[in-house]
Amino acid sequence: MSEKILDIKNLKVIFPASSNVIRAVEGIDLTVDKGQCVAIVGESGCGKSVTSMAIMRLLETPPALIQTDALTFDGKELTALSQKEMQNIRGRDISLIFQDALTALNPVMTIGHQLDEVYIRHEKLKKKQAKCKSVESLRLVGVPDPERRYHDYPHQLSGGLRQRVLIAMAFALNPKLMIADEPTTALDVTIQAQVLDLLKIMQKAHKTSLILITHDLSVVSYMADVVYIMYAGKIVEKSPLKPLLRAPLHPYTEGLLASVPGLSGTNGRFIQIPDAVPDPANKPEGCYFHPRCRYCTEQCKTQKPRLTEAGHGRLVRCWYPLGRKEEV
Amino acid sequence: MGEPLILAANLSVDFPVRGALGKKKKVHAVSDVSLTIEKGKTFGLVGESGCGKTTLANLLLGLVKPDAGSILFDGKEITDISQKQLKIVRRDMQMIFQDPLSSLNPRFNIFRIISEPLFIRGGYTRKQMEARVLELLELVGLPASSLHRYPSDFSGGQRQRIGIARALALNPKFLVCDEPVSALDVSVHAQILNLLMDLQKELSITYLFISHNLAVVRDICQSVAVMYLGKVVETGNAQTIFDHPVHPYTQSLLSAVLDVDADNKRERIILQGDIPSPIDLPTGCRFHTRCPNARPECAIHSPELREIESHHRAACY
Amino acid sequence: MKDRIKDLSGFLLKIWRHPKGRVGAVLIALLIFTAILAPLIAPYDPYDVTARSEKGLAPSLSHLLGTTITTGQDIFSMLIYGTRVSLLVGVVSGLSIAFLGAILGVISGFLGKWADMLIMRLVDVMLVIPTLPLTIVLTNLFGKSYGLIIFIFTLFGWTGLARVVRSQVLIIKKSTYVKAAQLAGASDFHIMFRHILPGVSHLLIMNTALTSAGIMVAEAGLSFLGLGDPTAISWGKMLAEAQSGGALLFGHWWWILAPGIGIFVSVFAFMRLGLALEEIFNPRMRRTSSIRKLWKSMNGAYLQDVFHSMDEEPVPVLQKERVAVRE
Repeated sequence: MSEKILDIKNLKVIFPASSNVIRAVEGIDLTVDKGQCVAIVGESGCGKSVTSMAIMRLLETPPALIQTDALTFDGKELTALSQKEMQNIRGRDISLIFQDALTALNPVMTIGHQLDEVYIRHEKLKKKQAKCKSVESLRLVGVPDPERRYHDYPHQLSGGLRQRVLIAMAFALNPKLMIADEPTTALDVTIQAQVLDLLKIMQKAHKTSLILITHDLSVVSYMADVVYIMYAGKIVEKSPLKPLLRAPLHPYTEGLLASVPGLSGTNGRFIQIPDAVPDPANKPEGCYFHPRCRYCTEQCKTQKPRLTEAGHGRLVRCWYPLGRKEEV
Repeated sequence: MGEPLILAANLSVDFPVRGALGKKKKVHAVSDVSLTIEKGKTFGLVGESGCGKTTLANLLLGLVKPDAGSILFDGKEITDISQKQLKIVRRDMQMIFQDPLSSLNPRFNIFRIISEPLFIRGGYTRKQMEARVLELLELVGLPASSLHRYPSDFSGGQRQRIGIARALALNPKFLVCDEPVSALDVSVHAQILNLLMDLQKELSITYLFISHNLAVVRDICQSVAVMYLGKVVETGNAQTIFDHPVHPYTQSLLSAVLDVDADNKRERIILQGDIPSPIDLPTGCRFHTRCPNARPECAIHSPELREIESHHRAACY
Repeated sequence: MKDRIKDLSGFLLKIWRHPKGRVGAVLIALLIFTAILAPLIAPYDPYDVTARSEKGLAPSLSHLLGTTITTGQDIFSMLIYGTRVSLLVGVVSGLSIAFLGAILGVISGFLGKWADMLIMRLVDVMLVIPTLPLTIVLTNLFGKSYGLIIFIFTLFGWTGLARVVRSQVLIIKKSTYVKAAQLAGASDFHIMFRHILPGVSHLLIMNTALTSAGIMVAEAGLSFLGLGDPTAISWGKMLAEAQSGGALLFGHWWWILAPGIGIFVSVFAFMRLGLALEEIFNPRMRRTSSIRKLWKSMNGAYLQDVFHSMDEEPVPVLQKERVAVRE
């Protein structure tokens, strides 16, 4: 059994608002092993980004209220750390890659300078050494002509290059855990492929654990080892990648998979999930997915299903998981 | 081959920009593009950001005047007519946008949003407008109770439906769909695409479908043009292009689409480098800087579109 | 039309429901009431300087805030009449600034090109002109009157608003809903009156309330310096008279306090209303402090219950044979 790098138990995040309480994350358990890529998949408002912010302790109180049984990173309990200690962990041990590289980089500093800053602050390097390292790391992420690019400002780079710089910064200190929040959503398809490849190579080379947050199952299928599917603040399915793609257990996963139009698809109608993601302040009774589920029964409308063991390291939150339909 | 609704020939447009040090430069947004869009069919326009697909759509809608070339819309030349005449022609054209929220005025209720084209056209009584809006709401699958609510009360998919209803208000013949699903939740994509296809069947509208998502384009388009840096590099029947892409750019685009199939790992062509700036275009073939099988002559001469087979043309040696 | 009335009443209701808005609205209503009915409310004629026997009286039942030392005018009556000048100058300047700022901002943003260039350069020029010396020069030239003061405030007050309006117009002009209207054949006139003006109206309303408050303070300052209409009674002039008339010397604090309270209450009222409007138009403006307050009102036990309601019993293990992977 491999070592756990991150272990979350029963994480809950709520946003009390004027009329009612928004239940953003409703008690999720999540573990990440060393060197593993874990994907959290879900649509807008499912709580996937809030989860990552909660791990980094970047959620402000107010507006958020957080409760958790355990949030253990590398043997340390993150909730017990002071803001100062947490700041040391962020950047050195855990780093973040955002969707929008332009807002994540400081627009008035050259990218080289920003990279130097990371080395100087966390590794206490001299300016000269830091510069050597920065240029080297830019070369490593495939930025062409790194000595010249070192002096560029973020707005002078294309979206793909910016994302590469961000990856270079994220990997600069050899973090133990990397959280990538929709790292390629803003990029063009051909560039997206480049960046995902780079991310995968860097992850393997540094033996970093990666939490990949995305709505795009095709990205997941390319990167992830284990997949968590979230819906309306709850995990509805957890599974290793291949079995999930071959035989989803939760109807929502099935629908998600079907709505990724494959290139081998036929010229017909798309299989659709009706309706839309529920309002996080106003979730339905029973199973949160029941109004959109085509297998919905009376039981689903009233009783909340629990996350249940389904063998082969898989968990599913459904009264009638798909594989067993025939037996019921 | 069906009857063409739009016949565009040799369209080019440049935008002047002021570069560093006040030097005047030109963005070659669209160069020498010709295409035919058939009545009642869906024409896919594929390419990455900055390839000129949005500019091309604006050209076809008469929002931008071309520097060269001609556009025949339903048999009428529209590049050199007056603003007044253009307004009349444009009633047959509408557009749906990528971001449904910013395309709906947040201060308007749904009735005002959908009835706006009718209001602009004029000559409708309030009762007639109301009846038409209700009809449109039903057509796009929204409840009649939506009438007096505001865009912020709706989910992304519903907002896109509102945008579609507004576009249909004047019974257009031609609808430009600019990335209509890419801002929406994945699970809603299928609903909107199915709706668009149903509407086409029912009302026989012609679509120009702009997207970077090849898989979607393949499934709903009959014809496709692939653009790269303002030029069409490959065009023709959708099925043929996706089955046997000829141009290396199309090939790499197709291979860059990630599949969810767990076992069938296709060999992927990953392009090197970035898209060059449309201001300083590469010489010769515009793709040669990133092309995996570029040859010396590619850097010198620009290839023309050649017939590969019937309804399939590509610009590559 | 029916929609408009409904919109308006909904809007007024929102102000009423907003705690700051209600305070502001009630106080402003009181101020307006006082200003209009001043002759009925005021117990004495504030202009009456003939009551020589009643100079420098302390507050009493017959003279609620006493009388002035120099002329024996009733301070309470002066306070009430002062409302007129303050409100008039504040509100009229606020409105005319909104008017001018809106027109120039919309022209600048909507027409663009040379009009934009011209107006924005004009803004730059206005910002570097020293206001106070110019005001002194102008009052000497044209005589002291509140009309002139309103004119000067308007002349220098529109620049900031014009900039804000311009950038909002640019955002709306580029929005895709305007593009959709253009595709449907909309004229510039249509876009201007259906999309752009309604789109900046909230800025104008908000700005009027906030600038009115600022201008009331400025007006008091100018009147204090003796640049206001010498025949009118205003709070600023009352302060100046109190100072020169020896209110401090004789310890007549009420003479100073009365106009001070007048200025404070009116500025406070308009500020409250302005801030309330800001929060109504832009819900994100709500500060974290107001959320904290909300939490307190929700009580801890309730929030704990919310957390508990999410809890589940431990994961039960299914019997293995019931699990089969779908083929």
